[in-house]
Amino acid sequence: MMKTFNAWLKTIIFYEILIGMKATLGHLLRYKPITLQYPHEKRTLPDSYRGMLALLRYDDGTEKCVGCDLCEAACPSRVIKVISAEVPGEPTKRYSKEYYMDMTRCLFCGLCVDACPVDALGMTREYEWAVYDKRQLRLNKQQLLAIGDRSFPVREKRLELQHPNVAFFNVAFRQMPPKEG
Amino acid sequence: MVETVKLTIDGHHITVPKGTLVIEAARQVGVMVPHFCYHPKLKPDANCRMCLVEIEKMPKLQTACSTPAAEGMVVRTATTVVNEAHKSVLEFILANHPLDCPVCDQGGRCDLQDFSHEYTPTTSRFIEVKRVFPKEYFSPLIETQMNRCVQCLRCVRYCDEVMDVKALAPSGRGTMTEIKHFTHHELDCEFCGGCVQICPVGAITSRLSMYEFRPWMLKRADTVCTYCGDGCQITIQTKENQLIEVMSAQGAGRNNGDLCARGFFGYHVSTHPDRLQHPLIRRNGELVQATWEDALEWVAETAIRLKLAHGPNAFGGLIGARCTNEDLYLFQKFMRLVVGTNNIDSSARYGQINGVRALRRVQGTSRWTVTFDDIVSAEALLLVGTNVTETNPITGLKVKEAVKKRQATLLTIEALEPAVGTISNIANLAAHHFSVQPDGFKPAVLGLIKAVVEENLVSQPLAQKAPGYVQAVSEAVRRLSWQAIERATGSSSQSFIDATRSFTRTARAVILVGQGVLRAPDGSGLTATLLDLLLLTGHHGLPGCGVAPLAEENNDQGAVEMGAALEYLPGPSDANDQAARARLAQAWKEELPKGPGKSLMEMIEGARTGSLKAMFIVGENPAGSLPPSAGTMEALQSLDLLVCQELFLTETARLAHVVLPACSYAEKDGTFTNTEGHVQSVRHAIELIGESRPDWEILSALSVLMGYPLEYGDAKEIFKEIRSLIPGYGLLGPAPTPPRPDQAVVESYLKTGYSSGLAERYTLGERRAASGERKDFSLTLLVTQTLFHSGKFSTRAKGLLQVQAEGAFSLNPADGTRLGLAEGDRVRVSNDLGEMTTTVKLQDRVPVGLALFPEHFDQEARRLLRVSTDPATQVPYYKSASVKVEKAK
Amino acid sequence: MLREKYKAEIDEILSRYPLRRSALLPLLYLAQKEEGYVTEAAMKEIASILKITPPQVYETVTFYTMLNLRPVGKFHIQVCKSLMCALVGSDTLLGWLEVRLGIKPGNTTKDGLFTLSKVECLAACGTGPMMQINDDYYERLTEEKVDRILADLKRDGTSSLKSGPFMWPERTDG
Repeated sequence: MMKTFNAWLKTIIFYEILIGMKATLGHLLRYKPITLQYPHEKRTLPDSYRGMLALLRYDDGTEKCVGCDLCEAACPSRVIKVISAEVPGEPTKRYSKEYYMDMTRCLFCGLCVDACPVDALGMTREYEWAVYDKRQLRLNKQQLLAIGDRSFPVREKRLELQHPNVAFFNVAFRQMPPKEG
Repeated sequence: MVETVKLTIDGHHITVPKGTLVIEAARQVGVMVPHFCYHPKLKPDANCRMCLVEIEKMPKLQTACSTPAAEGMVVRTATTVVNEAHKSVLEFILANHPLDCPVCDQGGRCDLQDFSHEYTPTTSRFIEVKRVFPKEYFSPLIETQMNRCVQCLRCVRYCDEVMDVKALAPSGRGTMTEIKHFTHHELDCEFCGGCVQICPVGAITSRLSMYEFRPWMLKRADTVCTYCGDGCQITIQTKENQLIEVMSAQGAGRNNGDLCARGFFGYHVSTHPDRLQHPLIRRNGELVQATWEDALEWVAETAIRLKLAHGPNAFGGLIGARCTNEDLYLFQKFMRLVVGTNNIDSSARYGQINGVRALRRVQGTSRWTVTFDDIVSAEALLLVGTNVTETNPITGLKVKEAVKKRQATLLTIEALEPAVGTISNIANLAAHHFSVQPDGFKPAVLGLIKAVVEENLVSQPLAQKAPGYVQAVSEAVRRLSWQAIERATGSSSQSFIDATRSFTRTARAVILVGQGVLRAPDGSGLTATLLDLLLLTGHHGLPGCGVAPLAEENNDQGAVEMGAALEYLPGPSDANDQAARARLAQAWKEELPKGPGKSLMEMIEGARTGSLKAMFIVGENPAGSLPPSAGTMEALQSLDLLVCQELFLTETARLAHVVLPACSYAEKDGTFTNTEGHVQSVRHAIELIGESRPDWEILSALSVLMGYPLEYGDAKEIFKEIRSLIPGYGLLGPAPTPPRPDQAVVESYLKTGYSSGLAERYTLGERRAASGERKDFSLTLLVTQTLFHSGKFSTRAKGLLQVQAEGAFSLNPADGTRLGLAEGDRVRVSNDLGEMTTTVKLQDRVPVGLALFPEHFDQEARRLLRVSTDPATQVPYYKSASVKVEKAK
Repeated sequence: MLREKYKAEIDEILSRYPLRRSALLPLLYLAQKEEGYVTEAAMKEIASILKITPPQVYETVTFYTMLNLRPVGKFHIQVCKSLMCALVGSDTLLGWLEVRLGIKPGNTTKDGLFTLSKVECLAACGTGPMMQINDDYYERLTEEKVDRILADLKRDGTSSLKSGPFMWPERTDG
C-alpha cells in the first residue's frame, strides 16, 4: 500500500528528473562557470602533453635527424615521409634531405618520437594549428625545425671527440683506439 | 644410386644423401640454424661459430655448417646449451659491432639484427671502446664499413671460390681483421657485386643506392638482365617508381643468384635523363616534339604512299636483339604482312646467325644441345675465341665451377695471355691454353683435328658409319703441315696432341664458341669445323656434349627463332621451306611475301643506290655500330622515310624522319630467350617513362593506321600466338630442355653435306706477319667487348661509367717497351682510313702484337675499321684493323 | 727487381714446393731481407712470380707479425702480448719500454734505432715475459734487464742477455 503511494508521489513530483537535475539545480543556485573562455583563457597543460611534432637540433645548431626512416616505419597513419641521402661533402654520413609530415593525419600517438634512435623528434606543447587551408598542414623540414627551435630552447649538447666514421650518433669516445699494426 | 643416411633433427626424421651438411639437412625439415659464415655456394669455413648445435654422443657442441650428417645422428638445435652458445657468440660479435643500424643500409634485412633480436639480452657486458677502422677511401660503387664486419669472410671466399677473382683480402688478424683490396689502394676488381649480396651484415653495401631506401619500402620485380646472352634472372627493386637496386636471390634463375658488374650496377640506364619521352618528327630539318597521333599518322601516310609508288620491296626493317620475343615476332610479322617484304634483319646478323647456320647445317638444331648444367658437369671444355669471363660472365662462372669444383679439363683458344690479375682470366684455369692472334683460331682448331686424325683418336663407330666423311676430313688435315700450324698459332704440335688426348679421353665434352669466331670471317664455317671435331672424337650426340655458340646480346637467340631475319621464318624454319610457309600462311591467313629479301648490309647498299626507299629501325643503331667506311650515315640519309623506335637519340635516330620513344626492358613485359635457348619472363619493374610505349604496341598501332591491323591486348597474347606457331616454345620452367641433334640431318651431313666448302674450311688461310718479329710501329687493333659494358646501351648507366668511362688502348707491356709507350701516354693511332687519339693501358693479358680497344667507346676507333661481308651468311665483319701507333704530340 | 737480383735463390725456393704458392713465406722473407720491410712493389712482384693476386700476398703479410709493412728501426723490439706473457706482466714490460723509449707500439724512435711492436706468441711461454729483438730472444725480463739490454744495444749493437738466435736454423756445414 505504502509502496504504491510512494511510487505515485514520485510520479507526480517528477522525482527522477529532480535527481537527474540535482547537479544542475545546485549550480543554478551557486553560479560559478567551469567552461574555459578559450582563447582568452588557456588551460595548464600536463607535463606529458602530446602536441605538435618538431625536429630538434643540437646545441651547435646541427640537425639531430640522421634520416633513418624509422619514424616513417613506426607511424601508424603514414604521416611522415623521409627522403634520406648522404651529406654532401661528407661521404657515408646520412641525413634527411627532405622531411615531410602531413599533420592532417597525425594521431599524436608519439610512436615516431619513441622510434627515433637519436631523439631528433619531440612533441611540443603547441596545439593551436587551426588553418583555413589543409595544405598548410603538410609541414616540411624547415617548418618542423622552426617549431623545434621555438619550443625547445634548451638543446642537447653535441659531444666532442667523434670519429668521422662513427659520428652517426651522439656518442663520444673517450679516446680513439689507435690502429694496430 | 646415391647413398643416404637417416638422422633426426629436433624430432624430425629425415633421410638425406650422404655428405649433406647438418645445416642443410636442418633447412630441409624447416629448422633454421643461425649462421653467418655458411653459404650454400661456399665451402664450409666454420669461423663464425654461430651454427653450434648439440649432437647426441658428441661431448661438445658442433658446428652444423661443417658437420656432415651421419647415420642415426640425433641433432638438437634449440636446447638451453645451444641457446647459451648463440648468446655468447653474439655477445662477442656485438662487442665490436657499432649498432649503427639506423643509418645502415642493411638494417631490416640484416642477419645479425635478426639473430640479436632472437637470442640476446638488450645489454652488453662489454664496456671497452669498440674498434674503429679508419677509412682510406670512399669507393664509387662498393662501400665498405669495416666497423660493422663480423669477419665471416663470406665475401673473401666468394671472390675466390665462385668468381675466381681474389681481389679481397682479410688483412690483419683477430678482431682487427679488415677486408681490404691491396694495402691502401682502391678496390680494383670485376665489380660483380657478389660481396655486397653475400655480406650478412652492412659491412659491404652498394653505394649506388646508398641511403635511398629501407628494405620494407621496396617493390620487387623478377625479370631478366638485358646485357648479354646469359639471361640472368634479376630482381629489380623499386621505390615509388624509382630504380633502387638490383639483386639476384640465391638459387634464382639460370645464374643461380650470381651477377656481373653489368647486371648488378648497370640498371640506371632505364631512368637516364636522356631517355626520349615524346615522339619526334622532322620539320624543316629539325627533330621536334610531336604527339603520338601526328607522328604515327605521318609515318603511316608516308609509308603507304611509298609502298604504292615503289612497291613493298623498297622497304627494309631492322630490329635490335635487345627487344623481347614479342617485339621481334610482331616486327617480322609487321614487315612481312603489313609492309609485305622479306627485307628483315636483326642485330643477330652481327654474329649469332653464323652459329645458328652451322648448327642447322650439321645437326639440324638452331640452338644449343646442352645447357648450363651440362657445362658445369662437363669433363672437358673447349673454349674457342671467347674471353668468356668478359663477354658472358655467367657462362664463365659455369666454366669456372666445372674446372674449380669438378676438376674438368679446360682447353682455351683465345687471343689472351694467362696473366694473373684481380679481373679473372679464364686462361689461368686452362689445362691447355693456346694464345693465338685473332686470325689463329682456325689453325688452332685444325691443329686439334689433325691431332685427332694422326693420333688415331677418331671414334670407331663414326669411322664405320661414315668412312667417306672421315676419309675426306683426314685427307684435308693431313695436307696441312704441322710447321704451318705451328707458325700460325705459335704453339707446338706436341701441345695440340696433348690437348687433344685430354679432350678425347673424357665422356662429356662441351665446346663454347665465342665472338672471336662468330664475328670473324667465315664464323659459320669454323663453327661447323668445331662440330666436325666433336663428330670425329665421337662426342657428338652423346648426352651433355655439344657445340654452344655464345650469344652476345640478350635476345640474339630469340631474334633468330622469331624469324627476324630474311632467311628464317618463326620457328626458325627456312624462309623457302614450303611446308613452313604454308603453315604460317594458314595461321596468319595471308600469303607470305616471296623473294629473297635483303640483309643488313644489302639494305644499306640498297639505300645508297636508291633501290630502298624506307626503313623501320627498332632499337638498333647501324650508324653507331658499323664503321663510317661502311657509308651507313650517307645511305640512311638518302632514305625517303626512316622511322626509328629508340630509347635514346642515337646516331641513327638523329637521321630519322620520325623517332618514336620506346620503353626499356625495365618497363615492359615479355620474354627473352637466352643463349642456351631458355625462354624467360621479363616483367616490368617501373611504369613507362614519359610517353614511351613498348615496341610491339607501336608496331601494332602503326599496323592499324596502315590498314592491316595486328591488334593484341597485351604481350601475353602475342606470346600465345608464338606458341601456337612454335609448339612448346618457352615452357617457362626452371631449366631449358635442349633439343637433340636431328639424326637425319647429321646423317645427310656425314654422307654428302660436309663436302661443300670443305676445302675452304680446311685451309690455314694467309698469315699476317708474325707479330713478335715486327720492328715497325704497327699493331693489330681489335675492337672488343669488355666486362663492364654491353654495346653502347650500358654506356648510359652511371654505375658502370664509374668503373669504365672511356676507352683505352690496351697492349702488352712488351709492345709498350718496343714502341716506347708507358701507361697513361696519349697515342695517335692511325691507318689509311683515319686516325684517333687515345690513352695507353699496358696489360699483361693482351698478347704481343695485338691492341684491344673497347667497342663501347669506339666513336673514334670505328674510323680505322673496314667492313667486309661474309658472302655466304651476309655477316659484316669490322672488328679488327692493322694500325700504326705513335706517341701523340 | 727481386727476380733479377735473387734469381738463383728464388729458383731454389720454388723448387722446394710441389705447390707454387707454398713459396710465399720464404719469398716474403727474401723481400724483407732486401729492404728491411716488405714493399708494395715486392708484394706485387711476388704475386706475379707465384701466379696469385697481390691481395693474397698482402693478406699473408698482414697476418704475420714478423713481416713488416713499414720501415723499422735498427732494432725491432717485438714484445709478446699473448696470454701466457700477459699473465706474468707483459703489459708492465710494454709500459716500461714505452717510457724508456718514449714511443707507443708501432712507432720508431726519432734516432731510428728502436721500433716497438706488440706481437703474438713467440713460443717461449715458459720464460715470459719475453721479447724478440731482431732475431734474438730475451726472456724472463725485468725492468733492470730491459734497461741493460737497451743500453747494450745502444752501445755495442748487441747484448749478452740474448738467448737466441732461434729464427734461422744453424748451418751445420759451417
